[in-house]
Order: sequence, then C-alpha cells, then structure tokens
Amino acid sequence: MRSEVREALIAKLTALADDEVILAHRNSEWVGHGPILEEDIALANIVQDELGHATLWYGLRQQLDGSDPDQLAFFRDANEYRCCELVELPKGDWAFTMLRQYLFDLYEALWLEAARHSTYQPLADAVQKIIREERFHLQHTQAWVERLGQGTEESNRRLQQALEMQWSYAQQLFVPIPGEELLVAEGIVPDLAPIKERWLEHSTRHLQAAGLKLPINPGYQPTSRAYHTEHLWSLLAEMQSTARWDAEAKVW
Amino acid sequence: MPIKYGVPSDPDYNERLREFEARIARGEKIEPGDWMPEEYRRQLIRMISQHAHSEVVGMLPEGAWITRAPTLKRKMILVAKVQDEAGHGQYLYHAAETLGISREAMLEALLSGKAKYSSIFNYPTLTWADIGTIGWLVDGAAIKNQTMLAACSYGPYSRAMVRICAEETFHHKQGKEMVLLYAKGTPKQRQMAQDAINRWWWPALMMMGPHDKDSPNTEILVRWGIKTKTNDQVRQEFINEHAPEILEAGLTIPDPELRYDEATGNWIHGPINWDEFWQVVGGNGPMNKERLEARRRAHAEGAWVREALEAYAAKKQKTAVAV
Amino acid sequence: MDTQWPRWEVFKQDTPHKPHQAVGSVHAVDPEHALLTARNVFARRPQAVSLWVARAEDVYAWTQEEILEGLATARADAGLGTACRYLVFRKTSHKRSMTFVDHVGEVEATSPEEALQQAQARFSDTTALAWWIVPADKVYQSDPSPETVESWFAPARDKTYKQQQYYATVGSHISKHKRGRGVEDEE
Repeated sequence: MRSEVREALIAKLTALADDEVILAHRNSEWVGHGPILEEDIALANIVQDELGHATLWYGLRQQLDGSDPDQLAFFRDANEYRCCELVELPKGDWAFTMLRQYLFDLYEALWLEAARHSTYQPLADAVQKIIREERFHLQHTQAWVERLGQGTEESNRRLQQALEMQWSYAQQLFVPIPGEELLVAEGIVPDLAPIKERWLEHSTRHLQAAGLKLPINPGYQPTSRAYHTEHLWSLLAEMQSTARWDAEAKVW
Repeated sequence: MPIKYGVPSDPDYNERLREFEARIARGEKIEPGDWMPEEYRRQLIRMISQHAHSEVVGMLPEGAWITRAPTLKRKMILVAKVQDEAGHGQYLYHAAETLGISREAMLEALLSGKAKYSSIFNYPTLTWADIGTIGWLVDGAAIKNQTMLAACSYGPYSRAMVRICAEETFHHKQGKEMVLLYAKGTPKQRQMAQDAINRWWWPALMMMGPHDKDSPNTEILVRWGIKTKTNDQVRQEFINEHAPEILEAGLTIPDPELRYDEATGNWIHGPINWDEFWQVVGGNGPMNKERLEARRRAHAEGAWVREALEAYAAKKQKTAVAV
Repeated sequence: MDTQWPRWEVFKQDTPHKPHQAVGSVHAVDPEHALLTARNVFARRPQAVSLWVARAEDVYAWTQEEILEGLATARADAGLGTACRYLVFRKTSHKRSMTFVDHVGEVEATSPEEALQQAQARFSDTTALAWWIVPADKVYQSDPSPETVESWFAPARDKTYKQQQYYATVGSHISKHKRGRGVEDEE
C-alpha cells in the first residue's frame, strides 16, 4: 500500500471508530434511566455493539500503524478526535436519542452495504461482522421513529424538534475526510456521494411517513472533523478520567 | 383461569395445605393456577418484587461508571453487566406478574418508597475499584442467595433464578478479575482496591439479611420451600469462599476478629453493625434519597414515551406475520 | 395512571430442530415491537434461531391440578364458533429449568377447551404438568429469512465477554483456598 493511501486509511478508520465511541458514550448515559426496562436493555445492546465496532475499526488501524486502541480512545485530546459533531450532541430526550440513532444507523447500514466489496480484505471482513448488527439496529430505530412520529401530539412534536436540530448535523456524515478520494479510487472504501443519495431518499420517505417535515432552513452544517462542538472536551474529560488518573497503570 | 389462593377460614384449608406441603416435599413445582395459601403468594410477591427492585436500583451505582470505564473492554463488560441487571429485574417482575400483580403496581410501590430493595445499593460508588468489588463481593453474595432460590418451590421464581444464575457467573468473575489485577497493580491501584474492600465488606455481609433469630419470615419461607437455607447459612458460605481469596490476593479484610475455625471449617466473623443496617433499611443510608429520586425521574421522563407507543398501537393494525 | 404496556409471552427456539419454549415475557405495544423487544431481552446470549410472541391474554393455561379438578372441561361447551388452529405447549418435568412449556404441535378446535381435550388425546406419550393453548393467529414469529436470523441471532455468539469462561484464567485455583469445605462453583 502506498504511504499516502495508508495514511488516508488510518485517518478514515479513526473517524469510523471515533464516531462509534462517542455515540456509544452518549447512548450509555441512558443505561439505568430509560423509559421502560425493555428499552433500557435494548439501548444497552446498541451501546455494546457500537463499542464492539469501534474496537474493530481501531483494531484495523492497529494492524497498519501499531497504535493501541485504548491509547487512542483514552489518551487523545478533543482536538485529536475525528468524530462528527452529530454524535457529540448531548443525549437530549428519548426522541432525540432515537432519531439520532436512526439517522446514524441508516447511514452506517448503507455505508457498510457498499463497503462489503472493499478491496482491502481486513476491512471487508470487519464489514461482514458489523453489518449483521447494524441491520437489526436499523430495524429497531426505524420502528421507534415510526411509533414516536405517529404516537401522540407530544411525541410527534418532540421528534420534529429533534429533527430540526439534527438534520444538518447528519449531513456531515457524508463529507469525505482529506485523502478519502485516494481510498475510493483504490476501491478500499465506497464513494460517499451515492450513499448520501440513497440515505436522503430512504430517510425522507421514512420520516415523512412518520408524519415529520424536513426542516426548511436546516442551518449550520459542520464539515471538518478536525473541529468539534463545545461538548466534546467535557465528554472526554469524563470518559478518560479513570484511565488518566494513574499514569503508571499498565493494565486495567 | 380461576386462581385459588387459600385462606385459613376456607373449609378445606387444612386439607389443601397438607396436599400443598406434600407436593413441595416431593420436589414438585407450584405453578400459576395451582392452589396455594394466600400467605405463600403474599410472601412470594414481597420477595420477588423486592428482588426485582434491587436489580433495577442496582443498575444505578454501577451504571454511573460506564462513562468512566478505563478501557473499551471494561466499558463493554460493564454495559453488559448493568444490562443484565435490567434483564434480571425484567425476569423477576415477570415471575411476580404470574401471581396476579401488575408491573405498574410494583413500580408504584417502589417509587412511592413503600417497597424495599437491597440496602447495599444505598451505598455510593466512589472509585473505579468499587466496580470490581461490587462484582466480586456484592454479586458473590447475591449468587449465593440466588443459587439457593433456583431451587425455590414456585416455578416461575425458580426458572427466573436458574436463568439469572447462569448469566451472573460472569458478573462475579469480571469483578474478581479486576480486584485481583489491581491488588497486584500500581500503588494507586492497590490502594484503591483495598479502600473498596474496606467499604464494601460489611455491607456485603449484611446483604443476606438479619441473623436467623431476628428474621421472622425465615421459618415459613423454609417450610414452603421458598428458601432452602437460612440467612446465616448463606452468609457463612459467602465468607468461607471470599475471605481466603481476599487474603490470598494480599488484601486485608476490615474485621479484626475474623478467624478460621479448624473444627468447623468456617471463617468466623466479628459482630455485624446491625444499627447501620436498620438505618439504611429505614431510608437513612448515604444514597437512599438519590437512588429513589433517579428512579422517579427516569419514570416520569419516560411517561410520554410509554403513552406515545400505546397511542400508536391503538391506531395501527397488526403488521407482523402470524405463525 | 401509568402504563408499562401489555405483556407478551415469548417463545424461543434455540436450534432449528428444537421446539419453541416459553422463556418469559416482555412488555410491548404491538407484534413487531414485541418481537424486537424479545430479541433484545432473550437473545442477548446464544442461542436462538427463532422467536414467537403472543399477548399474555391470548394464552389459555391449565395446570395438571386444575385439570384434575375439572376446571378445564367445565367450559368445553362454550366453544360454538368455527374451528381454528391452536398451538399446543406442554410442560412435563419438575426438573430445574429456565424454560416453562415446550411447543409440541397444533390442533384444530372450536374453543381453547376443546383444543386442550384434543391435545391431551394426541400428545399423551407422557404426563403433562401444565398446558398452554394459544390460537395460532395470535402468535407472531420473527422473520425466518436467513439474513434476519443471521442479523438477529448470530452476533450474540461473538460477545464472549458475557461468558464466565472468558475470565477463567484469572487468580489462583479455588481448590487452593479450600480447607475441606463443600463443593464450590467450578472455577
């Protein structure tokens, strides 16, 4: 692999993993506080799966540059993280959490579908594992969006509010990272443009069927993954507090 | 299905009670729909719902550390463990529901402060080592109790316990793994582990409940096969297993009177501070108010979600495929 | 007034040739939701290949004791409707178990009580301790397509951190601490 391709792949894997870690963090804030026991259990499944996916993506990076996944997760600062801003937003209410999860799951499922034939075999193998779980997540969150959208006036209003907030943030999922075109040219990762088209088509149809309106003025759309919301710093301060508490500790 | 709960004023009560106790003596399971004394039902609802509440409240002290777990693996394990606690609460509420009480009614009892749950969860989790220690000691104590309850005479409770025991073995293992690791770790890790053992040892011993002589329910519970061992028996089993392992790890146990008795093969513990136990049971533990408040908040904030889905279902036709 | 949603009985099939078994219940609002929920609650660990759910109120249950007391036949003449299919579940052992009744087959009858009588005649190979009779059209199944089975049930096998064996190598063997006491959990 050429070194600039390798660098781009390392950056892409990091972005994929960082999204999962931060989203898992936000979702994990619900554990023990869900609206009903069954859904507490369901969201905890999603959290475990996301952490598993992050471990796989960091693991692929480790194969390329030897970096330790826990070092990456727990000892990088906010400005070194490459997650998108959507996943950093505070968890909000149940509608906010379910909608974000749906928008992300749909993106991830479509991306994985397209990445199954990656020319980079380790990535293709990881995709095969992850895609199974992602299909179920999508079924689950799709069902929630439909039910909240068509439930009560209040649930529809809350979901609509979440959509107003998240829609433009979600578009960042389709902004290529610097150097991604090299990976696309080599067939290592899929081109984001056609995935975005499919995502827009699916999400628009499903959201409208759920009785929601796409925002007329979507507002700020983040682009660079080098910059973050003002929430990430404190999120990481909490997440990394134990790992960084004892500099001498070798194992946890 | 007519459910028959017998009371002593029933003309055939004594006869039926004899048959009922004979069934239990033969090792048969009592199932929903079978005749049972109202008192048997009452005791089961009390125990099972308390047990369910304990699982659900028990998610809070550990759940608070999910966002601070020090590695991806530990985080995943902890999420799985807290999730299991939700699952176990779920299985237990189900077992109680078979006795004709609704989950709504049980939650109402919890949130109003009427129902009890295990006092251990009214202690705070102060450091990450508490997570290991809870797994090792608190789950270790719970498993002793639950293994016994898996043999319970009431079918639904017994089945829930068999499932829970099968799942919980990893809770105990992961906790023990952590504490043993930290006991051999850096000075800070070691000190953190010792501090956690110091704080959780006594509450763990109190988990099995008061001494037999102060436990008014024990006799009838043993007689009806709901419990098969007394509180003191289970406590002794727990100490016999855990005390030598803690010492072997190079940690100390905060009981100056603890000693091994060659004659009985038992580890004999010093006096338990039952004043503290009853204080915590009575609502004056360090975290009683916060735990209940957290449950109430989640319940209240989830109300619109639960209503929304019912409203949806009322509007919709069935969509899944019948068998 | 609070709602915790209606209760659905859940039947799990561990492998393709085993019967569906009653494993517990979930609270959910509609069949699709109940199936998704059942997967989250009862398939967190291996093994499963299929799930069925039925509203708890659609399950007709009798124990051996109730049948001996004539409580099941008392209403047999109540069924005057047209014949429909009923799924039959049965429990046959008092042994320690985490499941209740097993699916044994189906019958056609005009009422649950009549279905029970047919079930007793047809599945008479061993003593039944309890019966569940459920109208077939009230039982909903998870999608049997290989893709869904893979997506719903295969990933649990990779979650090895939920198995105690994952931690087995840690610490010294428990026998080291034993001083002639009773048998402990295997280490």
